[in-house]
Amino acid sequence: MTATLRVRARSKTSPTSSASPKAVVRRVAGHVARGLVMIWVVATISFVIIREIPGDPVRGQYESLIQKGMSPEQAERATAVLYGFLPTGSLWEQYLGYMNSLLHFDLGRSLSTPGVEVTTLIGSAARWTVLPVLAGTLLSFLLGVIMGVYAAIKRSGRLGDVLALSGSLLHGVPVYVIGLLLTAIFATLWPIMPSGGPVDVEHVPGLNPGYLGSLAHHAVLPVVTYTLASYGGWILAMKSNVVAVLGDDFILAAELRGLKRGIVFRYIARNAILPLFTILALSIGMLFGGSIFIEQIFNYPGLGLLLVGSISSRDYALMGGTFLVITIGIVVANIVADLLYTAIDPRVRSGGSA
Amino acid sequence: MKRLAAIVALATFATATACGTTGTTEAAQTAGGGVYTTIDGSKQINASAPINPFNPVGSVFAGYNGMALAWPKNDPVDPNRFYPGLADSWTTTPDQSEVVIHLQPDARWSDGKPVTSEDVRVSIGLAYTQGGTAYALDPRAAGAAADIQVVDAKTIKITQGANRSGMFLSNLLSTVVVPAHVFGGLLPSDFWQTLKVAQDGAGPAAETAKAEITGLAEKVIAFTPERDVSAGPFVLERVNPGAALLKRNPYFYDSAAIVPDKVKVLNYTGNEQIWNYLIAGKLDNAPFTSVPSAVMERIRAAGGSKVIKGYSPVATSMAFNQSHKPYDNVHVRRALAYLIDRAQVTKIASPEGGTPAVTTSGIHAKAARAWLDGGFDRLDPYRVDAAKAEAELRAAGMTKRNGRWALPGGKPWKVRIHVPASFSDWVAAAKSISSQLGDHGIDATVVTAADYTLYLGELADGKYDVAFWLIGLGPSPYNIFQRLYGQANGWQMFGGRLSHVPPGTQGNWMGGPETVEAGADGTVNPGELTSRLSYTGPEERKRIVGVLARLTNEQLPVIQLWDYVNTQFANTSRYTAFPPDDHDALRLSSGVWMQLGMIKKRQV
Repeated sequence: MTATLRVRARSKTSPTSSASPKAVVRRVAGHVARGLVMIWVVATISFVIIREIPGDPVRGQYESLIQKGMSPEQAERATAVLYGFLPTGSLWEQYLGYMNSLLHFDLGRSLSTPGVEVTTLIGSAARWTVLPVLAGTLLSFLLGVIMGVYAAIKRSGRLGDVLALSGSLLHGVPVYVIGLLLTAIFATLWPIMPSGGPVDVEHVPGLNPGYLGSLAHHAVLPVVTYTLASYGGWILAMKSNVVAVLGDDFILAAELRGLKRGIVFRYIARNAILPLFTILALSIGMLFGGSIFIEQIFNYPGLGLLLVGSISSRDYALMGGTFLVITIGIVVANIVADLLYTAIDPRVRSGGSA
Repeated sequence: MKRLAAIVALATFATATACGTTGTTEAAQTAGGGVYTTIDGSKQINASAPINPFNPVGSVFAGYNGMALAWPKNDPVDPNRFYPGLADSWTTTPDQSEVVIHLQPDARWSDGKPVTSEDVRVSIGLAYTQGGTAYALDPRAAGAAADIQVVDAKTIKITQGANRSGMFLSNLLSTVVVPAHVFGGLLPSDFWQTLKVAQDGAGPAAETAKAEITGLAEKVIAFTPERDVSAGPFVLERVNPGAALLKRNPYFYDSAAIVPDKVKVLNYTGNEQIWNYLIAGKLDNAPFTSVPSAVMERIRAAGGSKVIKGYSPVATSMAFNQSHKPYDNVHVRRALAYLIDRAQVTKIASPEGGTPAVTTSGIHAKAARAWLDGGFDRLDPYRVDAAKAEAELRAAGMTKRNGRWALPGGKPWKVRIHVPASFSDWVAAAKSISSQLGDHGIDATVVTAADYTLYLGELADGKYDVAFWLIGLGPSPYNIFQRLYGQANGWQMFGGRLSHVPPGTQGNWMGGPETVEAGADGTVNPGELTSRLSYTGPEERKRIVGVLARLTNEQLPVIQLWDYVNTQFANTSRYTAFPPDDHDALRLSSGVWMQLGMIKKRQV
């Protein structure tokens, strides 16, 4: 019994067995090949779906300008040239052109920002998405995991109840409600935070305290919103995993052997966190989709906002490009998650000794 | 945990640093005029877009770093009234066949070079690549410029083609002027010869020339100057996705009139951001935004908050697809008009930004009174009258069973009112109407489209029976009636020739008849009359407006619901001297107000 437990504890917490470099290369190559096929399939499906979305982008742009008070003459002039940016030819011809462009890393030119390369727009938006969403994801993961462990250990006490309740409450509140609430409190009623934009335009961009401080200041509410919105999921998942691990024999054995509390805690946390790594990796992959509501509420010009704007303006090239980036993000995250999981959990390593 | 504590401490420090520095670094460098903060309602800021006025989302802001020859006054009937811009003055022949423009003698670009007639000529050349009425390549198009002649460095003469239009001056003065030394390279050296061939030539040579010129359009629109060169009171300093910052142009011809040192144009992705800015008192001025009553109260409560109201030549209507039964029957349309309480609809949908339509004429009431004189009061006001509505429905062959109206064949009548989901005022109005119709035994529902582009696409495809539609886009009477008797109703202009296409084709979703019996006015072709508005003389124009207004009132292709009110928000905490209510510059940007000598620093 003791010997079995020892093996299990070691296998879960200290992956030591190693595959041959050839096997690793073969595994990575397999993942990459599957990933490329996945990207091609998604790119093809999204290409067809995008072209089938009803609505005339130029007419939409014209009427939007009219709605904003522009005279018909001005609106006509402003939109007439946009027809030149629309794709032409049959669907099949467009598809072949699209795939050919993709092979040359050319995502085409935007209709909603006429004349500007889609890659430029995505690159510009990505930096406003990746950092805040990444910070929010990691922060919520960190908080959720730590608090989840405490909530499980103290599940019969008041602290455990409070932590579990906070997780359930925040998990149930939609992200836009949290965002609007924070904006109302900290940007309107008690205006200590900026209500929109990624940085104050008065600061000269560069590595100067004013600019960096303004960046951080503007990122606070979006990051806090994202953290609060995802925190509930992490804490509940972690609590549930920890409770399951707590019932395992090897924990009982560790306690009976009189191991230090810190070591037991590490056993618990490292075993309970395993399933969450996959979700974390996927969440990081998903961050390329941006967080539409947060970006909308805080006027944060990230990928989510770009995607929504491209859909409402029927900017086919931009829509396709954004979908592609999201797809690549998720596929890469999947591959990384697979590889990571293989590395940290020997049980899933094919041909492993565990 | 120690590491976590260190991260938290670092984040707190960064936040504190940010709180301490935001808005201070460069504000401190201003010379006392301060930073004027506003919103550009015509477009969202796009930091990736070029500093190019030909790009629809370019970082050029009208009145600040974007200059036109002149700025249109908000006149209900006359589209040819303008404030000077880069044009100091202008003269025109009575038929607008010839316009001579005198530029501001002291106008200079922000790099110190003078603004000359050559700049205007190049700007017009570039405008030809983009199309537009005054710069149409088709010589048969009404109101197209035929010849551009540089008289001297500050004077330019433009001649109108044979097919004259009363909008020529207006279209000409709206020309945005760009520096020839920056944009001039976009025009090939033989551009003007090519233009001549395109306009005066015939056959394949003319077609090739036209293709050459329109082929330049994308190049022009995508052109990215390295830096802003502006003839306006401001020049773009920098732009990020959240805002654009403009600083004073020291070479502006009337620099003494400009008070703020800088202008910050904030971006927005939704109306609620503008509301928050206004409630927090951060904006010195913001254009009209649809605002719920509760939010309006909070905006008014902000220190220094001020609401300025004036005329806005736009109206909202409920339009019918006359190729769908029973809306092909004028009695049905009239019945609905008699049942809808427009005051109630406006109170619910647009209490701040609209006034209930006095009647349906296709024109905003203020402009309609000016165009029609006493004739406006003789139009049927369609006051709520259930008895008249019932009589109209019976005249249409409708029957009432168990308190519900049914179609002539006995089938249930379901009125589906379509609106885009994103237009909250229209959705509220449609719901109010459906409720009112329900009270009178008509089964009405509101159907929303996911977004405006989808809405317009389905509308153009003729999928809707009843839908909301903007009308009355003045001041040009042609523009006003073109919304009712233009492409949406089957009339199309190709190569200077007007034709009418069948309902359900080429965007004809209103499906009205090509000719209509209009009582004392006889048989009229409303599309043809509308087309004549673009080139006919003042007397005839007034007569046609009268005919079309009466026809619209009788035939009701739409039911006019409310006329918009231009509601501007201002905050007098930092600046004063905003234009008063009903000022004819109210629809122009704050940058133009500054050019006109408005906007002064508040004296503490």
